[in-house]
Amino acid sequence: MKQEGNHFSKVALLVIVLIGVGIGSMGSFTTAVMVEKTSGEDFCAQCHTMEPMTQSYLADIHGGNNKEGLRAKCVDCHLPHDSLFSYLVEKAKTGTHDVWAELTYDKSKIDWQEKRKHAKHFVYDSGCLHCHSNLEEATMGSAKAFVAHKAYFLDKKKKCVECHSNVGHHNLGDYISKTGIKEK
Amino acid sequence: MKLKSLVVTFLSGMLLSVSSLVAKPTEHLGDMTNNKNLKITRGMTVEAKRCVECHADKTPAHVDDWRQSRHAHVGVSCIDCHSVKKDNPMAAQNCPGVKGTKTYVSVLVSPKTCTKCHPNEVEEFQHSGHARAALQVAAKQGMQDLMHKFEGRNHPKLKNSPEATGCMQCHGTIIKLDKNKQPTAETWPNYGIGNVYPDGGVGNCKSCHSIHKFSIAEARKPAGCASCHLGPDHPDIEIYNNSMHGHIFNAEGSTWKYDSAPDAWEPGDYRAPTCATCHMSGIGELKTTHNVSRRLKWNIWAPISKLRDGGYETAVTDFTNKNKVTKGNPLAGHPDGSKAGRAEMEQVCKSCHISLHTKSFFKMADQHVELYNEYAKEAKGMIDELGKKGLMMKDKWADPAFKVWYHLWHHQGRRMRQGALMGGPDYAHWHGVFELQQDIRELRAIYNKRIKTGKIDE
Repeated sequence: MKQEGNHFSKVALLVIVLIGVGIGSMGSFTTAVMVEKTSGEDFCAQCHTMEPMTQSYLADIHGGNNKEGLRAKCVDCHLPHDSLFSYLVEKAKTGTHDVWAELTYDKSKIDWQEKRKHAKHFVYDSGCLHCHSNLEEATMGSAKAFVAHKAYFLDKKKKCVECHSNVGHHNLGDYISKTGIKEK
Repeated sequence: MKLKSLVVTFLSGMLLSVSSLVAKPTEHLGDMTNNKNLKITRGMTVEAKRCVECHADKTPAHVDDWRQSRHAHVGVSCIDCHSVKKDNPMAAQNCPGVKGTKTYVSVLVSPKTCTKCHPNEVEEFQHSGHARAALQVAAKQGMQDLMHKFEGRNHPKLKNSPEATGCMQCHGTIIKLDKNKQPTAETWPNYGIGNVYPDGGVGNCKSCHSIHKFSIAEARKPAGCASCHLGPDHPDIEIYNNSMHGHIFNAEGSTWKYDSAPDAWEPGDYRAPTCATCHMSGIGELKTTHNVSRRLKWNIWAPISKLRDGGYETAVTDFTNKNKVTKGNPLAGHPDGSKAGRAEMEQVCKSCHISLHTKSFFKMADQHVELYNEYAKEAKGMIDELGKKGLMMKDKWADPAFKVWYHLWHHQGRRMRQGALMGGPDYAHWHGVFELQQDIRELRAIYNKRIKTGKIDE
């Protein structure tokens, strides 16, 4: 009896572990797919509010308007890339906020031009440097890049978007005015 | 009179014929033949080259300055500073070279552009009193009235000339654009240090580093400061010339070295300091700063001198963050207060002088500032009392009492204090405290008469 009981509980344990692994894998897979599916313009642009951002992005070098047609996804710039943890936490936070805002805010009252002034709070240097990883090693072969970014890498006082204020969204100011979203 | 005008006419005729000999009739001013056909193949995009080469022909003086600049050395050219994004408030295509292209340019270049490569310099500058120069003029009703109403006579057509030809050339102004996105004549051209640009940038690097050469050597020479720091109300270049520092500079400054790297320009490159050495340079252990208020102990321009314990200048942050035009922070100085500011200034002195010299110099200079305050407090007391009793004229600029007070603090009072703290004895004394002892007697006489009679009787 005792032996059989032991045998049964071992099998049960194995089954439970296997089911756990299965659910875990499915969960991880689904999460990974979800994280991936909700990272680009095709997802973000589903909300009408994002129209000027999407249009200006598609007209920009970062949005595919370049020789190779390469695109940076929304989250490549708008989520931190210093760790997977902070990436996921920020994604959950901003994702939840944006859905909530889309459903409950009076969006006609949002001053998008004013919001652009605070870009450094929602465009992450770690995102920029994830792709522009060779910038720190710039040489006098590209004198301007070398000189201009020297102060950045020495002091890190300013964020990328404080100088590159239009990056990622070509003439965003014009698109915001065009679509009639409140302009100051 | 007739004879005099005949002589003048004759002399100018002579001058004209001499200059026509020097300049060939086919040339015009700004024709710098050497670089009219400038061709550049180094380190520039096709578009950047087009600007340089066309402007070498159309505006050769600009390009001649530029080719001597450090900007040109590192490949920073016209387009890097003058091109703006299409949605920038200053974006225009008035230049035929870019018309119809995707490139938008602006004749104005704001500190927002300079900061892309010089972020520390712009940030330090914005912490300094220099940064409030235009905003405070816009914020003070008294200054607006003086320029437009009193000096400009509220004239419908002519009231803006006092500001445009005078004040804004040093202070700067809030630059306005016309419908073609070109700056208006009322607000530009100017070299004022506190300009507010239509893109929200505040400040003006070219006040000290003139365009298009942007020379560090130029800004390190007293001339870089003298174009504004002169005259009856802040004769700083005159004070410098009066000082032993200026004496040595004027005797041998033409042989000194002015282009050592920032933070490495040290005694030995020069035998006496210039304005920049004491107020900005990274001498000895000190680091360089574009915050000219940082090493100051006192405010020595206000009616009453107070210690500079106010931290950083606030005009730019108020403007940028709250969209507010303010008078700024007259007590802006070292972030750790006036003692820390003075300690840094003493560190400058000690690069050449013994401590006893430094301490004793400042002890007596500080006393002269405090002595000024004694005069100013008495004078202000009388003015305030007369005001309360209705014994000041409605038009203050017609009132002898107000005029004496104004000159007491704004002219001779500043000379007294600035002369003392920068070693200009003639300004500390004859143009300073001597005038004040006269003023206070004049004001007392007016005050006593008005109090006694209860009337403004002039």
